[in-house]
Amino acid sequence: MSVVRRLGPALLAPVLAVVVALVISSAVMAALAVNPFDVFGVMLDFGETPGQQITAMVVIVNRAIPLFLSGLAVAVAFRMGLFNIGVEGQYRLATIVAAAAGAAVTLPGPLHIGFIVLVAVVVAALWAGIVAVLKVTRGVSEVISSIMMNFIALGIASYLLTGPFRGSPEGASIIATADIPESGQMPGLNGIFDLFGLANPPRQLYGFLLIAIVVGVLIAVLLNRTRFGFDLKASGMSPSAASASGVNARAMVIKTMLLSGAVAGLIGLPDLLGNTHSYTTDFTAGLGFLGIAVALLGRNKPFGIALAALLFAFLDRSLVPLQIADYPSSVVTIVQGTIVLAVVVANEIARRVARRSAAGGTAAPSGGPTAGDGSTGAVPTPPPPGSTDQRQGAQL
Amino acid sequence: MAATGVTGSSPAAGSPEGAPLAVELRGITKRFPGVVANRDIELRVRRGEVHAIVGENGAGKSTLMKTLYGMHRPDEGSILLDGREVHFRSPADAIAAGIGMVHQHFMLADNFTVLENIVLGSEPTKGGRLDLAEGRRRIRDISARYALDLDPDELVENLGVGDRQRVEIAKVLYRGATTLILDEPTAVLVPQEVDELFGNLAELKREGLTVIFISHKLDEVRKVADSITVIRRGTTVGEADPKTTTARQLAEMMVGSELPSPETRTSTVRDVVVLELRGVTVATPGGRPAVDDVDLTIREGEVLGIAGVEGNGQAELVDAIMGLRPLTAGTVLFGDQDISSWSTRDRREAGFGFIPEDRHRQGMLLEGTLWENRILGHQTRPPASKGWFIDRKASRSDTARIMKDYDVRAPGPDTLAVALSGGNQQKLIVGREMESGPRLLVAAHPTRGVDVGAQAAIWELLKDARAEGMAILLISADLDELIGLSDTLRVMLRGRLVATLDPGTCTPEQLGGHMTGAHGTAGAA
Ligand SMILES: Nc1ncnc2c1ncn2[C@@H]1O[C@H](COP(=O)(O)OP(=O)(O)OP(=O)(O)O)[C@@H](O)[C@H]1O
Ligand SMILES: [Mg+2]
Repeated sequence: MSVVRRLGPALLAPVLAVVVALVISSAVMAALAVNPFDVFGVMLDFGETPGQQITAMVVIVNRAIPLFLSGLAVAVAFRMGLFNIGVEGQYRLATIVAAAAGAAVTLPGPLHIGFIVLVAVVVAALWAGIVAVLKVTRGVSEVISSIMMNFIALGIASYLLTGPFRGSPEGASIIATADIPESGQMPGLNGIFDLFGLANPPRQLYGFLLIAIVVGVLIAVLLNRTRFGFDLKASGMSPSAASASGVNARAMVIKTMLLSGAVAGLIGLPDLLGNTHSYTTDFTAGLGFLGIAVALLGRNKPFGIALAALLFAFLDRSLVPLQIADYPSSVVTIVQGTIVLAVVVANEIARRVARRSAAGGTAAPSGGPTAGDGSTGAVPTPPPPGSTDQRQGAQL
Repeated sequence: MAATGVTGSSPAAGSPEGAPLAVELRGITKRFPGVVANRDIELRVRRGEVHAIVGENGAGKSTLMKTLYGMHRPDEGSILLDGREVHFRSPADAIAAGIGMVHQHFMLADNFTVLENIVLGSEPTKGGRLDLAEGRRRIRDISARYALDLDPDELVENLGVGDRQRVEIAKVLYRGATTLILDEPTAVLVPQEVDELFGNLAELKREGLTVIFISHKLDEVRKVADSITVIRRGTTVGEADPKTTTARQLAEMMVGSELPSPETRTSTVRDVVVLELRGVTVATPGGRPAVDDVDLTIREGEVLGIAGVEGNGQAELVDAIMGLRPLTAGTVLFGDQDISSWSTRDRREAGFGFIPEDRHRQGMLLEGTLWENRILGHQTRPPASKGWFIDRKASRSDTARIMKDYDVRAPGPDTLAVALSGGNQQKLIVGREMESGPRLLVAAHPTRGVDVGAQAAIWELLKDARAEGMAILLISADLDELIGLSDTLRVMLRGRLVATLDPGTCTPEQLGGHMTGAHGTAGAA
């Protein structure tokens, strides 16, 4: 089977989505009497000197790391038809607890970092686990409960920040946790620029990049090559067939949410360990929600998510230059928003195309949102675990 | 085609009186990538007749009907309704033209009620608001008129296959169809239900409705059809007159082979008990238990047949044995181990094979590839996995082997399951379950939807496995299959095992009597 035939349908949806988004946002800009080509020019302008250009790329990659982790967290749950909308709350709560815990201890270098990572992962996983437990014991839709849990998590986080975990002096303009000592700070990767004889930018490329890559590879292997991944995919495609094959639907929901939460726990760490070293009132927010869009655009595949994260990071970076050039920065938000909408539509189109050409057997539509996003028509919400097949109407 | 009573598909076979045909398909060709599903097919259906379409698995029957129903457009050919050419862009167009279709595989939303399922897509409104009362009234009406016996407020989840079938038919009638397409409507119905259905069809026919139906049960086809079209390998091979054509001749037209019989040879029952149920009870939310105090024993080399009208607790019994439903009372023993609390996976690994009654619900991942479907249910053992990892290479090659051995007609292990014809899906399921060499096989309707040739092959497989000591729990709506294959026959009625019969002496008629409770509830023979 040729590479084009394999990748064609997989690329179709995201490429279509980006194109549609560009067209729509151009139209919006034109309506606002802004020349879209000038705007795109500013967005693509990375600066004059090699130093500026590398800095721009470092900014993009640094932003892409948490977006990638967030997309991954969402995708793990999507794969079995679970909507983890709670990634936002999970990472915020995990980050503040990890920041406080990291500041409270002193350990030798790698151990200290490992400890902080562990705390973040455990806190987020447990927080996500609550949603799973509610679902399997009480049948509460994870969509509803994870949204609710977001509010609670943010509330707890701000209580902790202003209360017990407060490390900044009274009256400081920004409230923050105490700084993590040097042993718990993660060195940057700027060494590689020297290695290649490139200009060393003033910004540090986050060392967490390596961890993110490892996590991405591990998740890809887990989802595609292991029995657990198979069970997860089967549950996403047909809960009833998965149960009959011996998958314990309840246990699967819990394991998947724990895993999704664990990955979500990592989202705040690139910034925390590589840059801020404390959790503050203005710590990066919204990554959990952006992760949903990133996962959709990446079609729930780790590699696709990486590309989607880079695209979103690229868009985010252009915010500042656009403002400097006196263009409305809302342009970026419009592009991102239309991408998300276009993705949902394009995924559905791609799914139908794939189904039409199904006989080739290579056009497998990915699981995930297409497996439970109501695209099956009659069943608007993902069914609870152990409930019956959501695939009726599949041939319509 | 030398068989008597068979005419060629020349235009002369069309409509002698010159009245326009209700449905006429001319030269339909439909290609899928790599497959020509229909090639130059001709079909002529007169108004007010029951027209049967027969043909082996993958012959292209469902594809043809989907074309007529507007689900896809033919690559060549034209569709004429009442003499006028039509072009359907979607099923909505076909429905508007009075065509309704009940699919081979059910398409109901489980978590909706009967009422909601039926009105879905053509909701009755009053002043712009959903008028469920009106919908309920019309459904009661249709239900009474055609003896469908439906409760509009029941959840579809709780219905058996027979009931689901009737919901599907009601759904089509509700939309005012004048031409009904039924794709294998009788595959899981027991004879009484089939008779009932055909009674309904006669009623429809009297009212001037036209019925096109697909079936693999040739005797049944001869009984109810006014005319028959035979399809082989995607193209029409001719029309047959049901009055003058024998089932044997039909089978020859379809596949060129003889009609098989399920008869088993000598008994191979051994002493070792494989499965024993003691007082097994499964409750339903409210109402009487679905499975009520069931005792049964299956030994090595024994086929235990369970006869019963669909919906008398067979599905729940199977679920209980497979560990998919909790018991309210009783114990399940496997050998001499109490496995009542074992998970489905424990049971699978201990050697339970499972052919589910509804293959799309419990047996397949339609969006998955064939190799993924091959390992479904066996994902913890070689060749599917090595330790914690899925062994893709071994899975693929084993899938290719099963496809060859079990005559699963598809391009290859990477084909999506959804692209297979119903019978080929069934063959894949049978293949994967038999190949895992189970000690106990729970087989619900194992030959559902397969053609006469494949049916014979599956019967042979079951007989051989039994001779080698496999214990088989057989549930089937096909009474000949039940009587022919079983060593012991039990009858299930309202959740209880009410009679034990000797398959050597009992006739389908006697069995039928017990199944409806006409023989009283005392054990016989
Ligand atoms: N969506 C599809 N994509 C590709 N091939 C398909 C698709 N649907 C059907 N086919 C192929 O077309 C052929 C005819 O299939 P069809 O479902 O019409 O058979 P059938 O006569 O209904 O068989 P059965 O008795 O087993 O239900 C088969 O080879 C099948 O694999
Ligand atoms: Mg078919």
